[in-house]
Amino acid sequence: MIWDVELHRGLVHDGTRFDLAIRFASEAERLVLHGPSGAGKTQTLKMIAGIARPDSGRVAVAGRTLYDSAARAFLSAQERRLGYVFQDYALFPHLTVRQNIAFGLRRGWLNPARSFTDPAVGRWIGAFHLDAVAGHYPHQLSGGQRQRTALARALVNGPHALLLDEPFAALDKALAKRLRAELKELQEQLRVPLLLITHDDDDLRDLAHDVVHLHGGRVVAAAAVAEAT
Amino acid sequence: MQPSPSFSAPAWLRRSLVLLVLAASAVAAHAADLTVSAAASLTNAFKELGPLYEAANPGAKVFFNFGASGALLQQIVKGGAPVDVFVSADEETMDQAQQRGVVQAAQRRDVVSNTLVVIVPASARNVPKAVGDLAQASYQRIAIGLPASVPVGRYTKGVLEAAGLWSAVEPKTIGANTVRQALDYVARAEVDAGFVYATDAALMPDKVKVALTVPTPTPVRYPAAPIAASANAQLAAKFVEFLQSAPAQAVLAKHGFGKP
Amino acid sequence: MEGAWIALALTLKVAGWATVLNLVFGIAVGFAIARARFPGRDVLDAVLTLPMVMPPTVLGYYLLVLLGSHGLLGAWLIEQFGIRLIFTWQGAVIAAMVVAFPLVFKAARAAFETIDSQLEDAARTLGMHEIAIFFRVTLPLAWRGILAGLLLSFARALGEFGATLMVAGSIPGRTQTMSIAVYEAVQAGQDDAANFLVAVTSIVCVAVLLAAGRLVPGRVAARGG
Repeated sequence: MIWDVELHRGLVHDGTRFDLAIRFASEAERLVLHGPSGAGKTQTLKMIAGIARPDSGRVAVAGRTLYDSAARAFLSAQERRLGYVFQDYALFPHLTVRQNIAFGLRRGWLNPARSFTDPAVGRWIGAFHLDAVAGHYPHQLSGGQRQRTALARALVNGPHALLLDEPFAALDKALAKRLRAELKELQEQLRVPLLLITHDDDDLRDLAHDVVHLHGGRVVAAAAVAEAT
Repeated sequence: MQPSPSFSAPAWLRRSLVLLVLAASAVAAHAADLTVSAAASLTNAFKELGPLYEAANPGAKVFFNFGASGALLQQIVKGGAPVDVFVSADEETMDQAQQRGVVQAAQRRDVVSNTLVVIVPASARNVPKAVGDLAQASYQRIAIGLPASVPVGRYTKGVLEAAGLWSAVEPKTIGANTVRQALDYVARAEVDAGFVYATDAALMPDKVKVALTVPTPTPVRYPAAPIAASANAQLAAKFVEFLQSAPAQAVLAKHGFGKP
Repeated sequence: MEGAWIALALTLKVAGWATVLNLVFGIAVGFAIARARFPGRDVLDAVLTLPMVMPPTVLGYYLLVLLGSHGLLGAWLIEQFGIRLIFTWQGAVIAAMVVAFPLVFKAARAAFETIDSQLEDAARTLGMHEIAIFFRVTLPLAWRGILAGLLLSFARALGEFGATLMVAGSIPGRTQTMSIAVYEAVQAGQDDAANFLVAVTSIVCVAVLLAAGRLVPGRVAARGG
């Protein structure tokens, strides 16, 4: 079992009370969390990553237990070794592409220098064709370049799994299609487990080994989704 | 149809407003108003003299402005403050006023006298037996009025210089902007001793105790004079005379001041 | 004029120390209030902003009562450490610090609140512990706003008069700052000294405000920050 997730959380969304009750397990290397906006997908992903706190539940990824309320086990986000790609990439605006990617390699109080070189960083910059913009700042990049920088940053630490929040939503269809193919190829190369949130059917079709449908804070069967939409 | 303004008041309201404004201006610009700038040490006594003067002169109103004599003089000379009478705590400040031509020299009169005392906080363990004791290490902070602008500071400096103690004591002095501030420093026990007038010390018997009465080379005398530029010359002169009158002197004596 | 330079040096020393202390406390408190979520947070913010709106003499009085030799804190300091704050330059620093604190604290709080919390979350997923996140992500993005507040606080501390006079008195060379020196020069009719002091103080204040103006976020070409 690569993904073993059970989460309960009471939320207030747009003024109304909303209870998240998620339960899914999958052996798929590429798992897609699919559902309309407001279904609780991002919240679920954040709780798996450790940047949001559930009320109760259990999370195990790639054989490691990251959270178990019954056993009072909780690994902080820092300890979970999961790569996270945010919906709007969350690149550090005051750091260059190279510094952003290298960020996770330095644990101290200082950011990596602009001239920081490291084989791992160099490899990722090359793999994602970011050489030309390695010294640029996020605001100078195109959408596709930002997405790749965010991905490289998440991967440089060699995470146990990768979590992506609507990674292609901000891109135009053609670019999204290309990057989707790149991600698929990358994942098949690295064999790193991947959990991807989307409401886009193309993502579902092209990437998913398995799907979990969310609706109203709950996991629902595919048939129920078809009925609801 | 008349063009109507955004606010059109009924006639009765308009008339009442006019009357109200007239009445208010009558109160505000009363011809018999007197402004007296007086040394800070006279605060309590003069506050009692005010109503006394007004009772004896129906229609008159007296406003007091208290502060260090030097500062008060600057207000008159620099700021052209609309003051009618000036009462300072030493002759020197009044001499300066006279040199600048801001007072009616002919009507200058001494109105009271005072004594200089050394006080210590009520809780103090060290009490000086003579002025010379203040040079000792046990007195680290001594409050005095700023000699440049406060008469009590000048008297103090005069005393200390005459005794050859000024250079020893001066580094330990904490300058106060008025004599009342010096009193406050001692009352709060932020200093080990202070120089004030006997009349000030008498205000806080529970917080300060008088250690010494100090004779001064220059007698402590308070002159009063009408201001030359006063709009109420006659009234100002009357006030100075009033200060010398028996009832006023009785009040001043009650507060501990001596005869001029 | 000699006394004027001493007063200027002392003023810069007092204002400088007050600003350094406000840098530390202002950032710490600004960060705590920006991040904390508890009922009464806004009340606490208002209380901490009080020194900015309270009349300096009122503030000075409170400090005098608190730090004086009979005061709650003052008596303890004298007993335990033999430290007296009234009539010392350290007391002047505290007066200036308290008066100017809200300027740094509010600027810091606002600066921290405009930072996208996702950036800090991103840093967490990359393995950074909280202190590293503060120095590597939060502070670099907030420093411009904080610095503007800091310069204003320095200017305020330079001109502090009422509270300083109450707490530190006016002792030339020790606590007589420029504004107090001007006050006394005027009282004593020392026009030349007063004019000189006023001119120097004005120039210094204008210079500080110009520097602060250049740091207002948005004026400098954004590095995406």
